[in-house]
Amino acid sequence: MPLAVVGVSHRTAPIEVRERFAFGRAEMAPALLAATGGRAGEAVLLSTCNRTELYLALPEDGFSVEQAQAILAAKIGETAQGAARWMYVHRDRQAVDHLFRVTSGLDSMILGEPQIQGQVKEAYATAREVAGPSGPVVGSALNRLFQSAFAVGGRVRSETGLGHGAASVSSAAVELAKKIFGSLKGRRALVLGAGEMSETTLECLRGEGVRTAIVANRTFDRARELAERWGGEAVRLDDFGTALPAVDIVICSTSAPHPVLTRERLRRALPGGPRQPLCIIDIAIPRDVEPAVGDEPNVFLYNIDDLTQIVDDSLDRRRAQLPAAEGILAAEVEEFWAWYASLAVVPTIRALREHGERVRLAELERAGRHLAHLSERDREAVEALTRSLLNKLLHAPTVRLRDAAGNGRGTAALDTLRYLFELDHPPPGDAGPERDETMTEARE
Amino acid sequence: MTGPLHGLALALYAAAALLLALSLARGSRRLALLATVLTGGAVAAHLGALAAYGARYGELPLVGLGPSLSVLALLIGVGSLGVATLGRTGPVGLILVPAAALVVAAAEFAGVRPSGEVLAFRGPWFVLHVTLAMVGYAGLTVAFAAGLMYLVQFRELKAKRFGAVFRFFPPLDTLDRLGRRALLVGLPFLTLALIVGWAWSARFHRPLAPGNPKVIWGVLTWLVFAAALGVRAGGGRRGHRAALASVLGFAVVVAAYLLLRLASAPAGGEFL
Repeated sequence: MPLAVVGVSHRTAPIEVRERFAFGRAEMAPALLAATGGRAGEAVLLSTCNRTELYLALPEDGFSVEQAQAILAAKIGETAQGAARWMYVHRDRQAVDHLFRVTSGLDSMILGEPQIQGQVKEAYATAREVAGPSGPVVGSALNRLFQSAFAVGGRVRSETGLGHGAASVSSAAVELAKKIFGSLKGRRALVLGAGEMSETTLECLRGEGVRTAIVANRTFDRARELAERWGGEAVRLDDFGTALPAVDIVICSTSAPHPVLTRERLRRALPGGPRQPLCIIDIAIPRDVEPAVGDEPNVFLYNIDDLTQIVDDSLDRRRAQLPAAEGILAAEVEEFWAWYASLAVVPTIRALREHGERVRLAELERAGRHLAHLSERDREAVEALTRSLLNKLLHAPTVRLRDAAGNGRGTAALDTLRYLFELDHPPPGDAGPERDETMTEARE
Repeated sequence: MTGPLHGLALALYAAAALLLALSLARGSRRLALLATVLTGGAVAAHLGALAAYGARYGELPLVGLGPSLSVLALLIGVGSLGVATLGRTGPVGLILVPAAALVVAAAEFAGVRPSGEVLAFRGPWFVLHVTLAMVGYAGLTVAFAAGLMYLVQFRELKAKRFGAVFRFFPPLDTLDRLGRRALLVGLPFLTLALIVGWAWSARFHRPLAPGNPKVIWGVLTWLVFAAALGVRAGGGRRGHRAALASVLGFAVVVAAYLLLRLASAPAGGEFL
């Protein structure tokens, strides 16, 4: 059963296009059923802000990859040809390699970002709940593929430094605060300016355990709105000085054209300086905080350039880990593919054995009349002899065929064997193996 | 067995110190982990060496400069192993492990063998006195290491330098807590050591004069402890002040030891 992935990502399409390809949770099940075409195929649909991808394991005679492309294209009201410029298709080993890269964060917009692993897990879990007329849309092939992908993602993250360090301005802010305070649990933050950047940074800090947020904004209603959303309190921008003694972290992101927090104002708010370290993150342009504030004792002041420097350093270090990550990935793709390719030979091996068994039984029956004088015990010995002979004859071809499948020469060996033993002409009434039986047998 | 095992412990401490330095330079957590394993090996070899000492000489390695330095080094080694396995304080070993190696080397230099000094009484009270004092000094060493790293990390964060120190050294708050805990554990031990020492001396030996180098050093160390804890009270840069006090206090204790030793040597006075 060939594997394939059809999709669009940040590498092939701009955000305006990607957002049109995005599937909501309610749209997943119909899309998955459509992608398998109601046949014995398998599908998982991954839809994030950076990619929409359909992973497929389709029977040879089933729904085609081109039809899956058409389903994705229809999402943006295009034909498959019309959407082709944004789409990519990876088949078989390349499809496996692609998914492993995705879960490892190697294909992410921010190298090594960890969220993608969770997003893939969610997509996989969603697909596992969907079943069509011919059964669940996730079967043995995609089950094994996704489980392997999660393991590879975990391995890459634990064995390399690909996930270490801050990779965004807001996570750099968190990293800085943690270098001062250790755990941020229960710390208090003051947010100056209720813009998007402040909110993103506050969200990151809240994720690390910052519990109380005080929001100060020129527009008080906006401050109150943000404070309510994050369970904090709102103050007027002119009054933020009163909140300073009670906070550990200050995030500044107003659109004021001049510094909002000056040295003089800090000294007025905190006579004698802060008793505990005060971390000020100024992500506004122009800057909200007078540089001299950073010279105050116990004050740690960082601006957008400092945060960017941390991000750049950390991305450089992540890039240095790429060869190690690629090494792990190559080995894992190889291992998965060896297993998966060996599945293709299972029906042939079964047909070969059935063919041999039929010949053996026919020959025994034909010889039966000449062996009528034999005792029951002798007949059993002859039976055992023929069975053993057949097993010995078929052992080497079976092993070689599995090896050939694993090292990429499977198709040629398979065709030769089927031709030599006329395996493509099965006796009438042989419906062939079911998909799941094949998988089980291959695993055994 | 004492000699080879002591030598092995020294080599392992030195190797662990080197690995920790490399892990800082390369930002490698694996090297830091390997250094912890080596430190564990060093502590095990060190324990074996001191056990062999006890078996060979029939006394605990608490009398004389070499043996007592070795015990102090062992406690520092155990301390560094402890911080390596507790939360995010492992990098403190960057100072503690070389310190342990240095003290072991000093012990080797002084000679890890009985001093021949005859003490009036070497019973459990004496053992208790020395052991309590060693734990106290080990606590001060951990506080010194945490304080020194605090000061370096503080400077890096203030100067916005986001290099190896920024990445490898623990957060300021973590270092501050470690320093405080080390002092809080060490001070009671040292206090008890002083009380037991005074009582033991008065009961079995002879009352110690206030000018005795041991008394001076013991009291000075206790004052350093108390000061390092005391500066934490009040406002301002409490953590920074406390770190500075731990570092300076440790330096004063070491300098006082060397001075008192030099001063007491010509007079033939007994001092560790």
